[in-house]
Amino acid sequence: MSDSRAKYQQMLIDLRSDLRPQRDWGEGRGVLLVVGHFFVGVAAGGWLMSLIFASHNGLLLSYLLAALGGVVHLGFLGHPGRYWRMMRRVKTSWVSRGFAGITLFLVGGFLYLVPLLAPTGLWRIDSVPAMLGYGMAAVGMVVMIGYMGFVYTASRAIPFWNSPLHPALYVGYALRGGVAALLVTRALEGNLDQVNQLLALWIGVTVAVTLFFLLEIYGAQTSGNAAARRSVHELLAGRVSAYFYGGILLLGIALPAFLVWNGMTGPLSLGAMALLGVASAAGDFFMKYSTIRAGVHLPLLTRVGAR
Amino acid sequence: MRYGMVIDLKRCIGCYGCQLSCKAENGTPPGVFFARVLKQEEGTYPTVNMLFLPVLCNHCEDPACVDACPTGASFIWEDGIVDIDPDKCVGCRSCMMACPYGNRYINDKPQHYYAQGQTAFERLRTGRHQTEVVMKCNFCRDRVKAGEDPACVANCPTSARIFGDLEDSSSIVSRLIKERAGFTLHPEMATRPCVYYLPT
Repeated sequence: MSDSRAKYQQMLIDLRSDLRPQRDWGEGRGVLLVVGHFFVGVAAGGWLMSLIFASHNGLLLSYLLAALGGVVHLGFLGHPGRYWRMMRRVKTSWVSRGFAGITLFLVGGFLYLVPLLAPTGLWRIDSVPAMLGYGMAAVGMVVMIGYMGFVYTASRAIPFWNSPLHPALYVGYALRGGVAALLVTRALEGNLDQVNQLLALWIGVTVAVTLFFLLEIYGAQTSGNAAARRSVHELLAGRVSAYFYGGILLLGIALPAFLVWNGMTGPLSLGAMALLGVASAAGDFFMKYSTIRAGVHLPLLTRVGAR
Repeated sequence: MRYGMVIDLKRCIGCYGCQLSCKAENGTPPGVFFARVLKQEEGTYPTVNMLFLPVLCNHCEDPACVDACPTGASFIWEDGIVDIDPDKCVGCRSCMMACPYGNRYINDKPQHYYAQGQTAFERLRTGRHQTEVVMKCNFCRDRVKAGEDPACVANCPTSARIFGDLEDSSSIVSRLIKERAGFTLHPEMATRPCVYYLPT
């Protein structure tokens, strides 16, 4: 009961403040939503990269991550037993579209992976079920890469997320996560083929993600309202700044960049390659986590005062 | 028929009668406020003014919450009231993030106000609400169907709240909005709220 009491007291303080921090996504069980989005993003990006670089193990890892992400998502829901209802509003709801995409991916991925990993199984890789599965997984992958950013952009209560750059940023996270997943897969396989191409891809995607992230922060700070500016403050100097500096800048960018530089200028060990992938993915997680935690509700009173 | 409410900020004295009567009528648990009152000081000494802004679900014509809901749990009745079917809600909270007015709450666990446990009132009124679902004001739809005003309107001691049909141009709410330049909160969100405020 003391937990409930503390939460209630915190809520009363929040409701009395002009700029109320959002605590529903990212705090308590809300962390599961961020973890779920992280896994699903890495899975979708990993599937794409594994198709491009022809990595069967990468496809398998991506599939398992998507399944794990789906389960973690269900763990966030108040009534996971009602999950089947979540596909009923694909016309308007990005959450619904995302759920449909994950379902499509999991079904299609299964149909495609079975003959790929067990060629003597029930159906062959050139059979109709496998080709259908390939198509379904591809459509699901595209939805998974795209939907998360739109979920946040559609959240009109939180001006910091309500930015047209957010979907592009999440596409970038997915691609960066995909490269990271493939780097880890290759390291575990002991396979250094095309490593320079992967490192170059990592640089390109990281530059794009960093640029989008900076533009979003700059836009919120210079042309956003009070809530958006408070979010930027929370991110850079407030309650989530430790995740920003430690998780994003140090773990997600500086450490992998150092390892990439080592890899481009000399031989990269398998351990360093795995560390690069894990650190890059962890940085993406903190990027998502800190932007979600930095969310601040649109104030109501300022409009009345300013009318 | 489109139900709406007008709140006269000139008449509101910030007594919290609406908030209390709402809690009594709906038996909302701690942390859930279908109706609440925001306060803000305006001006500088010696010409200061205390503004009271009662807020509740705006029952928008184009509600962002209904669009965001993945299950169809959030919906609009034919009379314009935006409501939640708790049997369909999965508790994803996307509607809470979509509502620009922050008037949706999660009832995440069984709660009571006093350390001794649930009172008889709470067992009767609060216990009927499902947990792990989102809750919000529905203009006391049961009362409205019975021909009564919502509890917050009926219990406002200064008659600062008026309830009625916004589509009827001769209704009191429509006339007040027209005559006293009623405004809505965050019109830039294009949700077309049905709760109007009359300026002080």
